Amino acid sequence: MWKTIIRRILIMIPQLFVLSLLIFIMAKFMPGDPFTGLVTPDTDPNRIEELRIQAGFYDPWYEQYYRWITNALQGEFGDSYSFQVKVSTLIGERGLNTLWLSLLSVTLLYAIAIPLGIIAGRYQNSLPDKLIVLYSFISYAIPTFVLALIFLFLFGYQYPIFPTSGTVDVQYDPGTWGYFWSKVYHLLLPAITYAILGTTTIIQYLRTEIIDAKRMDYVKTARSKGIPISKVYTKHIFRNSLLPIAAFFGFTITGLLGGSVFIETIFGFPGMGQLFINAISARDYSVITALVMLFGFLTLVGSLLSDIIMSIVDPRIRIE
Amino acid sequence: MNKKKWSLFAILLALVLVLAACSGDKDGGNAGGKDKPEPKKVDTSAFPMAVDNKDEAIKGGALEVALVSSSPFKGIFLAELYEDGYDSDIMDFASNNLFAVKQDFLISDTGIGALKVDEKNNKATVTIRKEVKWSDGEPLTIDDVIYPYEIIGHKDYTGIRYDVNFKNIVGAEEYHAGKEKTISGLKKIDDYNLEISFKELSPAIYTGGDGLWAYAAPKHYLKDVAIKELIKSDKVRKSPVTLGAFKFDKIVNGESVQFLANEHYWKGKPKVDKAVITSVPPTQIGKALKAGKYDIATSFPATEYDSIKDAKNLTILGRPELAYTYIAFKLGKRDSKKGIAIPNPDAKMNDVNLRHAFAYAMDVEQVADEYYEGLRTRSKSLIPPVFELYYDDTLEGFKYDPEKAKKLLDDAGYKDVDGDGLREDKNGEKLEIKLAAMAGSDKDEAIVSYYLQNWKEVGLNVVLTTGRLIEFNSFYEKVRADDKDIDVFQAALGTGSDPSPAGAFSPDSQFNTSRFATPELDKLLAKIDSKEALDPEVRAKAFKDWQLYMFEQAPIFPIYSRTEVMPVNKRIKNYDKDHFTKMDLNELELTADKPIK
Repeated sequence: MWKTIIRRILIMIPQLFVLSLLIFIMAKFMPGDPFTGLVTPDTDPNRIEELRIQAGFYDPWYEQYYRWITNALQGEFGDSYSFQVKVSTLIGERGLNTLWLSLLSVTLLYAIAIPLGIIAGRYQNSLPDKLIVLYSFISYAIPTFVLALIFLFLFGYQYPIFPTSGTVDVQYDPGTWGYFWSKVYHLLLPAITYAILGTTTIIQYLRTEIIDAKRMDYVKTARSKGIPISKVYTKHIFRNSLLPIAAFFGFTITGLLGGSVFIETIFGFPGMGQLFINAISARDYSVITALVMLFGFLTLVGSLLSDIIMSIVDPRIRIE
Repeated sequence: MNKKKWSLFAILLALVLVLAACSGDKDGGNAGGKDKPEPKKVDTSAFPMAVDNKDEAIKGGALEVALVSSSPFKGIFLAELYEDGYDSDIMDFASNNLFAVKQDFLISDTGIGALKVDEKNNKATVTIRKEVKWSDGEPLTIDDVIYPYEIIGHKDYTGIRYDVNFKNIVGAEEYHAGKEKTISGLKKIDDYNLEISFKELSPAIYTGGDGLWAYAAPKHYLKDVAIKELIKSDKVRKSPVTLGAFKFDKIVNGESVQFLANEHYWKGKPKVDKAVITSVPPTQIGKALKAGKYDIATSFPATEYDSIKDAKNLTILGRPELAYTYIAFKLGKRDSKKGIAIPNPDAKMNDVNLRHAFAYAMDVEQVADEYYEGLRTRSKSLIPPVFELYYDDTLEGFKYDPEKAKKLLDDAGYKDVDGDGLREDKNGEKLEIKLAAMAGSDKDEAIVSYYLQNWKEVGLNVVLTTGRLIEFNSFYEKVRADDKDIDVFQAALGTGSDPSPAGAFSPDSQFNTSRFATPELDKLLAKIDSKEALDPEVRAKAFKDWQLYMFEQAPIFPIYSRTEVMPVNKRIKNYDKDHFTKMDLNELELTADKPIK
């Protein structure tokens, strides 16, 4: 298995290389550049040209690419054009925000979805099952921004229980309890929104798997041996039914850094999704390329992780 | 079974209600053009520029300010380095600005600095008040006035301000090239006086142009940081030292800033204890203001006016923006080697009557009232009316007049030859005019289709370049490259505090995107920035001549001037947003503990 893992990691290198080439060229194809947005009649066009030359935008693309890739290999992704800080610092800051938000969201998501999925599967066709299925259809059908706006207006303004924007209240000093609590408090509403919207897949998978598993021979065997029904569920069925969820778990872990554009925009939450969109519209090349590379890398790692997790959860599967 | 159905129904009903409540009365302005809805215009001239609050003020208090923005602010808090308007909005609370302005944005002597110009010798002297202190208690000296020039002129400076104006200072280029250690044109006379030598002076010097820099930078605080590192340093991003009414206290990067009253402020410590600025997404701002979360909203988007117009807890201030929206015709190409605009006599729109007809056919009044609720009004001149001295108020502008448009076209020989209701060009060939416009809010789409219909009514076949509205970056790239699929385009222009049109209209300017160039225009523009125009009356006359010429030739014509809306909570006292403000932030007071709901 170790051999396979190492081989998979080695394959990532050419994959990432091709990705970097594609994204670099495509980013340059976009009309405009980071300086286009700065131009007003008060700015001197010659100065803008100077800045473009300094930034090397007129060099042939392969020279620009070579310069970028050699720096990138040393972990140096350059400065963001619009924020004027190191890309790594910028991504570090926003990534951390997104990471906390996603962690809380995913925890809530599993905390809601797994019990609901189990109840729905176990008591198939009962009233709770029907309500759960209805809930999961509705949450699946509601667009993210609609629910986010509803929650924001309901719980941010109508009944002002939660803060409505940002990640922390400015009056607290980092490192204090007030600061920590303020951070968590700001995370809650977006996290709950995110969690409610994401439950459908897990509920549906879990429910179907449990319904299928109920009729399996091993369940019958276990029952005939006299094992109590609740034990059969917790020991036998539950573990088997989690398989399809485990198959995604690797992606879930690496997806924590992806961020959600809608949630972040509506809740004014400075995270990765927003950073990515803003970077694209401002033509902030260094940020765009670094982010795509990061997302690409995470996806590859995610699929590897998923395979590894699968092999741990399901001993029948062996990575060869 | 019945029970289940009921519960399902109840849930659905609840959902429908919530959704309906959210969508609210947003779809009011759905004017397709045919059925003219009732205008719901507001009289923008009725917006006051200052609040009038007679209530008794409380002691201290915290001012809550919303910075309306859909993305985090950049957080570069130094006037020499920032490039983002939001950073500038934040810095206004702790501004390092040296000069106050009076009517027509002329520098007055009521600020920290005073300006004396020696027109004959191309020199200007900046004199600063004594006893002005930085927020850390250090005194302001003339070195702090010189330091910004050394930052901007430095070879490691990567911002946009090392420009043609800046090079107008004697010795700036030598300093930039690294040949000189200082800028030779800056002469420190004593601790409070600086003499600046310019290569050339124009009337712009009186509004802070020609290379004069209007801000101070705390040299004692910044001198240890290399210019190259300045933009990333904590001294700029986390703990700036400033001159304004408030001083930076805490900053959450990209989200919020807490200011405290600056006890060293030269006009006296502000009456409120602190001010907190928070970035708020545009989708929330209306709701947030009505809920009494904020006292003031800066960069309030005009499109959100609808959401606050009935609010009882707000006073809505308004002031004219120094910008207008315009329509321009592509009349040539830019020769980038020579750096000049070359007019093309065969350009589709190279007929004054066609251009005039095009302008008269647009029902701008209707659009301004209907879609912008009067927050935009028909603009008559390329100079915003705020510039009282230069604005030509005798101009009529292109008031909506389809009959006149038709007549102009008939007389000029644009006739409908094949009877399809659309006019052909003078040679009887089909005439298709391609209009490029920027994509923005959902209103833009509706407005453009309304205009397309306007033009059709006078028989002009106008279609959109690329068939739809164009994304901002692509739009400017196409316009600058003189794309062959653009005959006409719509864009907006900010004039800044010096309304000199040379930057946007002279033949050698890259921003002269209509590529209109005539010897007369050259003459008129040169006059505006000439030495004789240092005499305000000569300059005013030159401005008016130019405005009239541009109206007659119409290579570009303005469509709307804009009113900037500033909602302010009713607990605010002594607040004034006049461009030529007399009231300062240190006088601002609050009349309640929390913003009124």
